[in-house]
Amino acid sequence: MSSQVTAILWAQWRTLRNFRPAEGRSGRVISVAMSVIWYGMWAGIAVAIGLAAASFDRLRLEAALPWGLMGVFLYWQLAPLMTGSAGLSIDTRKLLLYPVLPGRLFTMELMLRAVAGLEMLLVLAGTAAGLLRNPAVPFWGPLLALPPFIAMNLFAAAGMRSLIERLLAYRRVREAVVLLVVLTAAAPQVIAYFGVPPGILTYFSGLPGPIWPWAATARIALGENPLPLLALLAAWVGMAWVFGSRQFRRSLNFDQAAASAADRRNGGGTPWSETLYRLPGLFLSDPVAALLEKELRSLVRTPRFRVLFLMGFSFGVLIWLPVVHGSVRDGSGGNYPVLISVYAVVLLGEVLIWNVFGFDRAAAQLYFSSPVPFAKVLAAKNLAGAILIALEIAAVLLVCAALRLPVSAPRVLEAYVVLLVLCVYLLAAGNLASLYYPRAMDPENAWGRGSGGKLMLFLLVSLPLLSIPVLLAYAARHAFDSEVAFFAVLAVSGGAGVVLYGVSMETAVRLAERRKEAFLAALGESAGPLASA
Amino acid sequence: MTDQPPAIAVRDLRKCYGGKAAVDGLTLTVPRGCFFGFLGPNGAGKTTTIRMLMGLAPPTSGSIEILGLPMPARAVEIKRKIGVVPDESVLFDRLTGGEFLEFAGRMYGLERRVAAERAKELLELFELHSAPRKLIAEYSKGMRKRLTMAAALIHRPEVFLMDEPFEGVDAVGARLMKDLLLDQVRRGATIFLTSHVLEVVERLCDRVAIIHEGKLVMEGGMAALRSGSETLEDVFVRLVGADRAAERLDWL
Repeated sequence: MSSQVTAILWAQWRTLRNFRPAEGRSGRVISVAMSVIWYGMWAGIAVAIGLAAASFDRLRLEAALPWGLMGVFLYWQLAPLMTGSAGLSIDTRKLLLYPVLPGRLFTMELMLRAVAGLEMLLVLAGTAAGLLRNPAVPFWGPLLALPPFIAMNLFAAAGMRSLIERLLAYRRVREAVVLLVVLTAAAPQVIAYFGVPPGILTYFSGLPGPIWPWAATARIALGENPLPLLALLAAWVGMAWVFGSRQFRRSLNFDQAAASAADRRNGGGTPWSETLYRLPGLFLSDPVAALLEKELRSLVRTPRFRVLFLMGFSFGVLIWLPVVHGSVRDGSGGNYPVLISVYAVVLLGEVLIWNVFGFDRAAAQLYFSSPVPFAKVLAAKNLAGAILIALEIAAVLLVCAALRLPVSAPRVLEAYVVLLVLCVYLLAAGNLASLYYPRAMDPENAWGRGSGGKLMLFLLVSLPLLSIPVLLAYAARHAFDSEVAFFAVLAVSGGAGVVLYGVSMETAVRLAERRKEAFLAALGESAGPLASA
Repeated sequence: MTDQPPAIAVRDLRKCYGGKAAVDGLTLTVPRGCFFGFLGPNGAGKTTTIRMLMGLAPPTSGSIEILGLPMPARAVEIKRKIGVVPDESVLFDRLTGGEFLEFAGRMYGLERRVAAERAKELLELFELHSAPRKLIAEYSKGMRKRLTMAAALIHRPEVFLMDEPFEGVDAVGARLMKDLLLDQVRRGATIFLTSHVLEVVERLCDRVAIIHEGKLVMEGGMAALRSGSETLEDVFVRLVGADRAAERLDWL
């Protein structure tokens, strides 16, 4: 093995070893403990699979092995993406600076894929050991089948990683991927509502066709006539090699600057959006109009906000589908637009309510150095939040209508009035939270945690309390069976909310002056390429 | 010596992004042993040019030769002989400074023992040795730049390609880096650097070139420049056409 290859493997090992979830000695201890637990768990799984493979009869092996190998394939393709996004994998493109032959770089990439998929190597080793001990399986089966299967996985993983890395260099693709991942999490709810498509049920209830590499591998491993199957598997290996090496080469030649240039060309405003951004200026005077315009422009151009906004009316609706379906069927439904809208507001709250200076980061110091009262800054941020929340509710209602869920005019009115009252309370508390628990957020990072532990605790306590005025209105509707009572309580709650908002604003302004230094230090501390640290 | 090809020879180099030329027909020769300053306003094409010289971005058209070897055809041989300080991070965040330097040395073909020794010495030289367990992710911008510079030196290259090497580095660190670079030129190495700090370029470089909107607008020796009445700043501002901008804003 050349010294460059060993240097890269050494660097990869050090990178993994240096992963410390906490500072100092405790971080190192946790890191070692996590590694032991993680790989120990996979070793345990491998042993269990080995024992099962040794004891299963042929029929059970024929049923289980192809699906198991398909699982291995999927894990192997996804694992490098996870380690890459966590910074645990060496970026092969950085090696371009060094005198390494491109062909050798691909070999190095394959080795890194093997290291990144160590769990699957353990699982396959367990499977092979089990099959070798099983008298129903010829000894040459696993020996002949598994090495090409591993090679195919490595080639495909290298190609997949290169392809996805290149695609993720484009901001819009990154956002779409994050949204897709989030929507996948709503799959159980969608299945509960729509049921499983019969085609999928049929496919997974039988055995996969022999054309698939996992099926061919399983059949060879179990001793089926190997020659045609081996030819098939070799073809898969060849295709994976072509895919992997081509994608890898294209990634090496990929110019990040070109991707960024493409993103820049897609950015900026269109005449249509420009008119919308300038709308506040027709009704408000500066500096509030200027601040509001800035907030709307910045937020709409921020990938993280866009993803949250899209999640609100897509994931937000899907996740509540079973509840909505149930309530519509038993006749109690109707409140679901409020329910989904509240959920969407909770999602957006991270950027529009609880940490409104998060995206400003170090630039927040401008608010203290410019001759604008801080109250106007907060008011503009709150107005921007209210406008975007109103748009989010509209989007939620449109999606509900598109899904043919009952959306009536009174329910639309109810959703808007309830959310208006609720938002007054949330914004009153949010202004204080934004100053007490500021946290810099990376606007480019479409996926990440925006709230610190203290803020989470604050939300846990305050959210139920802040919902009481709205809940009282529902209690009044239930007790008096009257819409008038409902809206009357809402009106009183809204009035009280406005008073609370005024008091909170005064407190927030005083707090901003008192905590200015700590506040700016916290926002300048972390997250993203423009943080001041 | 005179038969030797120049350190860098660039002919009619072009690089387009989506139809727009970031570098447009650049022709440039950098003699061996020269301290060459490559200047231009923001977005002029400096970084794109240096990335093509480093082999990180393929040119749209034109040719590059470094030490007489064509890039990218003989990229591996060229890379053995050059030391690079790119503008973006090429550091592995989850390694320590020492680990990264040792890794870089081994990638340039140094024996592991030699790489480790030099890594230790360079860490001390660049005053990065006080926190040996600190990960690069925790380094400040100046520390990262110093570490990148140390990695560029570890294999004693013949040509240095440096994009804003002093950016974010404190005065002491910058002084150290300048002294080291001048030492390298004295031993015969060639340095090609971009910088926004014209005073630094004026003090260090033998030759300068100015690029504006992707095109070369001036190339010449510092001695000739110094003999005139204009400073480098005067020449720069005159050539990139920014000197009259303020006059147009009469309210200012």
